[in-house]
Amino acid sequence: MRSENMENDVYSFVLRNTLTEITNACPDIQNIFLFKEDGDIISGEEKAQEEAAVHTVNALDEVLEKTKALGGMENMSLEGTKGTVNVSRLNDFYLVTVVPKNSDLKYVNVFTNVLLPTVLNLLDKIAPALNRNNQSETENEEAQVRPAIEPNEESTEETVEKQEHETTEAGPEKILPEPQVNQFIVENVGGLFASSDTVRIDADTLSQWTELYEDKKIEEATVETFGGKSVRCKLKPLKNAKLEGKGIIQIPEKIQQTLDVRKGELVRVKPVIE
Amino acid sequence: MVKQKKNLEETANELEPIAVEKATCEDHVRPMLEEIKKSDGVIGYILRNTTSATIDINDPTKVIDYAILSSSTFEASEQLTEMFDLGKLRNITVEGKDAKTVHLNIDENSISIFMEKTVDTKKILEEMDAL
Repeated sequence: MRSENMENDVYSFVLRNTLTEITNACPDIQNIFLFKEDGDIISGEEKAQEEAAVHTVNALDEVLEKTKALGGMENMSLEGTKGTVNVSRLNDFYLVTVVPKNSDLKYVNVFTNVLLPTVLNLLDKIAPALNRNNQSETENEEAQVRPAIEPNEESTEETVEKQEHETTEAGPEKILPEPQVNQFIVENVGGLFASSDTVRIDADTLSQWTELYEDKKIEEATVETFGGKSVRCKLKPLKNAKLEGKGIIQIPEKIQQTLDVRKGELVRVKPVIE
Repeated sequence: MVKQKKNLEETANELEPIAVEKATCEDHVRPMLEEIKKSDGVIGYILRNTTSATIDINDPTKVIDYAILSSSTFEASEQLTEMFDLGKLRNITVEGKDAKTVHLNIDENSISIFMEKTVDTKKILEEMDAL
């Protein structure tokens, strides 16, 4: 559970306040909290609420996994003689509400089915960067996979700046960011003296990587196909200036055969940081 | 001796209705489920008690997935019911993107009914409540 990690996030702060306000406006709600499939929880401020949230997530863990047989969970309602637990999916979150028997469900639903989704959507629209802070590691990795051809150079700079900022925030022990993954289009290598174990990418990407990894020398990269094959090889800048800035990677024929790729296909390239 | 005989008679009288009720419940649950399964959009059902289990699902490839889903839903519901003091479990509905299920207990029988999203769960529950 990483509920503690989320406490300081502005995003979770806003949601936590929203949940508190919903509880104030709707005293029928005995418990209300949000959680993500990866275990992140946003609950009320009381310790008991958080503990109940943790236990609920644990209890629902397998059900959520097995509900894939139904196409993934959208809603779950557990009705007892004294009350009801409702679990509903809201974007990336699951919202859990516990209400006693005979509570005004219509009134509760106005808050849980209308107000909360509105807040979530608003947060996503006005502060997508805040939301990004809460993404799981997998999502972060996916976010890092982006084409080498960036139409908007500003966004690249922004990402680099953000990652640098995160590194600075990490404290006295400098933690290097996860290797950035870029996509490139395969190009053949020409010339008699072309090295069979070296791939070439544009110098700009190389210098970006060097900058990002605190001037570490990047001499090798992992080239990965979308079929899952990968090769670690030497890395050098492109010699041909005409190929610069086109998102091209020159791969020798031997490596192309190993990877089972051809000219024009996409590959992912990740610098080897040692 | 007379007193002992009376006690035995009393015991027999006490047990008899329970046995009849049990037999009635078992006799009625399965035919009712079979009837429900004939309804449009109903994919199948799982009926389980302490001694046996009956699974009738249209798509045989889904049997294991549905059986695990059924048992983990009942397991989770026990924990949640206790944690939030919900009293006796009435029913659980789980709605997925493609299909949905209704789970309920009737006496010692645990029942899971799987259906397409278009099916009216309230109607199914009403039919089951009639038992």
